[in-house]
Amino acid sequence: MSCLSNPDLLVVGAGPAGLYAAIEAASAGLTTVIVDEGISAGGQLVKQTHKFFGNEDFFASVRGFDIARRLLKELSNMDHVHNLQESSVIGVYEDGIPVLHLPSDTTRLLQPERVIVATGASEKFLQFDNNDLPGVYGAGAVQTLMNQFGVMPGRNVLMVGSGNIGLIVSYQLIQAGVNVKAIVEIADRIGGYEVHANKAMRMGIPIMLRHTVIKAIGTESVEGAVICEVDENFRPVASTSQELAVDTICIAIGLNPSIELIAQAGGEVKYIPELGGYVPVRDDNMRSTAEAFFVAGDVSGIEEATTAMIEGRVAGLTVVKDLKGNTDLKKLESLKRELVAFRNGPTSARIREGLRKLGIVSSSKEHQYGNPNNPEKYMGKMRPVIECYEAIPCNPCETSCPTGAITVGENINDVPVIDYEKCNGCGICMTECPGLAVFMLRELPEEESALIGIPYELIPLPEKGEKVHLLGREGETLSDGVVQRVFKSPNKTHGVYVKAPAEIAGEVRGVSPVSKTDNTYVCRCEELTVQDVEKAINDGYTDFEELRRRLRISMGPCGGRTCRLNTLGMLSRKTGRPIEEFAPGVLRPPSIPATFRSIAGQEGAKDE
Amino acid sequence: MSRLAQHPVIEFVRGKKISFEFEGRKLGAFEGETVAAALHAEGIRYLRSSPGRQRAQGFFCAIGKCSSCLMEVDGMPNVRTCITLVRDGMVVRRQKGKGELLE
Ligand SMILES: Cc1cc2nc3c(=O)[nH]c(=O)nc-3n(C[C@H](O)[C@H](O)[C@H](O)COP(=O)(O)OP(=O)(O)OC[C@H]3O[C@@H](n4cnc5c(N)ncnc54)[C@H](O)[C@@H]3O)c2cc1C
Ligand code: SF4
Ligand code: SF4
Ligand code: FES
Repeated sequence: MSCLSNPDLLVVGAGPAGLYAAIEAASAGLTTVIVDEGISAGGQLVKQTHKFFGNEDFFASVRGFDIARRLLKELSNMDHVHNLQESSVIGVYEDGIPVLHLPSDTTRLLQPERVIVATGASEKFLQFDNNDLPGVYGAGAVQTLMNQFGVMPGRNVLMVGSGNIGLIVSYQLIQAGVNVKAIVEIADRIGGYEVHANKAMRMGIPIMLRHTVIKAIGTESVEGAVICEVDENFRPVASTSQELAVDTICIAIGLNPSIELIAQAGGEVKYIPELGGYVPVRDDNMRSTAEAFFVAGDVSGIEEATTAMIEGRVAGLTVVKDLKGNTDLKKLESLKRELVAFRNGPTSARIREGLRKLGIVSSSKEHQYGNPNNPEKYMGKMRPVIECYEAIPCNPCETSCPTGAITVGENINDVPVIDYEKCNGCGICMTECPGLAVFMLRELPEEESALIGIPYELIPLPEKGEKVHLLGREGETLSDGVVQRVFKSPNKTHGVYVKAPAEIAGEVRGVSPVSKTDNTYVCRCEELTVQDVEKAINDGYTDFEELRRRLRISMGPCGGRTCRLNTLGMLSRKTGRPIEEFAPGVLRPPSIPATFRSIAGQEGAKDE
Repeated sequence: MSRLAQHPVIEFVRGKKISFEFEGRKLGAFEGETVAAALHAEGIRYLRSSPGRQRAQGFFCAIGKCSSCLMEVDGMPNVRTCITLVRDGMVVRRQKGKGELLE
């Protein structure tokens, strides 16, 4: 078929950038071939289970895999589109572009009028001892395994890197029931958005700044990792090294644009670290220095899906202009303005700097930081508490609120401001925020307690009336509470409302079921779990004897053999005092289980 | 490393149950899985031994970019198993050395 071998447009890569480029071109009537080497289209989106940030017009608050599904559906309804899946563009040659169909190992040559390269990026690799051991995986690979195929990547994971990807994947690992031992970050600050970091810390994952991984342990698979601190020049300080028992080391230190094809086409590339490494030189219509070749998405600089989609549309519309002589210029200009607006926040400063080096201007703006208005006045009213203080490009809280009580405003990088007067307490914003940064609160002064709504995305979902642990911002147990209400949301971010003592109402940011997960015992005789003991220590019982009286710990038949040392260890960890400083409590007789009769001695025996 | 039975936000729709051969062992898989994912679900992470120093290696990127997952599939070397669907009756072997490279 000639339109297949001589299409108007060839799009390489069916991620968000490529799919949107194809949609624009095909809807203007261009014959379009999309080639993608994955087993299904969608690029990175198919494994993104979290809800996306950004602008509602570009699927903010929709989960990644749903975005891919919707774009594909739109394309499948169009004429003049050929989708070649499991097919790889293996190079760019004088006489055409060979496409290799992987399963059949056959090649066909395409001679398109225009090409949009939307090949995305590949994971950066980190140098450390034994880093080629099976079980050292890129963060994207871990996501693919667990979110696309439902296969556990491991049981205990060390995450390397605290950018958005490292933070999001850590959270997703917990959702899949995998333990994340720690996130190590070589810099002295967390790389990703504050809301993502909070989400991970709430799950109890420690983020260790100024730390890196120096060695993977194992022979045929990872059995452990050695991490250590770094000095001010980022050199490991060997004396601080410690070993972690993990079976997977997940590398999330960034992505490299996949520029091979554009370079082969003769497009100039330039090293711009702010954009991820070598990137194609291009103009603001996404045209490379090779006239017939365009770029869009991560290949043109590592950013986000929202910008990838807009760039794809810009490239598509420009190709339409090239081949048809005209295009929807109004749409094109408004998309370009949208890109500028999206990038004008403080978290995009690096991107702006990178684009400046390419000669592309992107302005920055002053930001408005929201002040919750006059909270005292609304005490006792059910209302959201929005813990989103960093200017990031995101606004689903605003667009989802049915009463218009939340304003981010025209500048999507502004911080949300809430008008409690307009709010009806419905809790929708809590379930829509992709950062899980919105909590509900209602004080109950007469009971000296408060109702707190927590966004919840784990299984099992607690039920009304169930007893749960109330967790703080770092996943620590603060107290116990009872679930008052469960607000089930179709987007699977549910709202769990619990009652908590008034004095900790501002601290409760998570819940965990008591009965189902808390099976880690300290004391077998009295069936006391780690959380029971931690809670008592938090409640101020910081001495062994006090704990014993409070919990009956070490008063069972084993006489404290099982639990004493563990309890002392917990006391020491929690209070920071060495074990020797604690009195171990009285070692009461009998030291083995004995009946009263046996102690009463011969006399009793005679009586019988 | 087993398959996830349930997940808070994803419903896994698995294909037909099939079987394939790995180093002479018969293993189960589901249609729609890649070879690398199916092996991983059976606890197999060691996919090839490196050409030079014969080190055990597994996959790294899982999206076809790093060539760390090259195996011999149905007699063909250098197959990127992270983007190759497993098929019923497939014969998969650890690749030792370079295989044959297209130049
Ligand atoms: C963990 C994680 C979390 C993220 N979270 C967010 C978020 O919350 N919000 C957000 O906006 N963005 C997020 N992103 C970023 C977003 O997913 C990417 O920026 C976006 O997918 C880039 O789109 P793309 O189309 O450029 O590339 P990709 O989605 O990577 O697609 C590229 C496609 O090209 C194909 N391909 C490559 N080379 C060839 C070739 N030679 N022949 C044929 N096909 C080829 C690939 O198979 C792939 O399907 C996240 C990314 C990750 C990894
Ligand atoms: S609780 Fe409902 S009404 Fe109030 S701000 Fe949130 S979405 Fe709007
Ligand atoms: S509070 Fe609003 S702006 Fe902040 S992360 Fe949530 S939805 Fe986005
Ligand atoms: S794991 Fe990278 S190519 Fe397969």
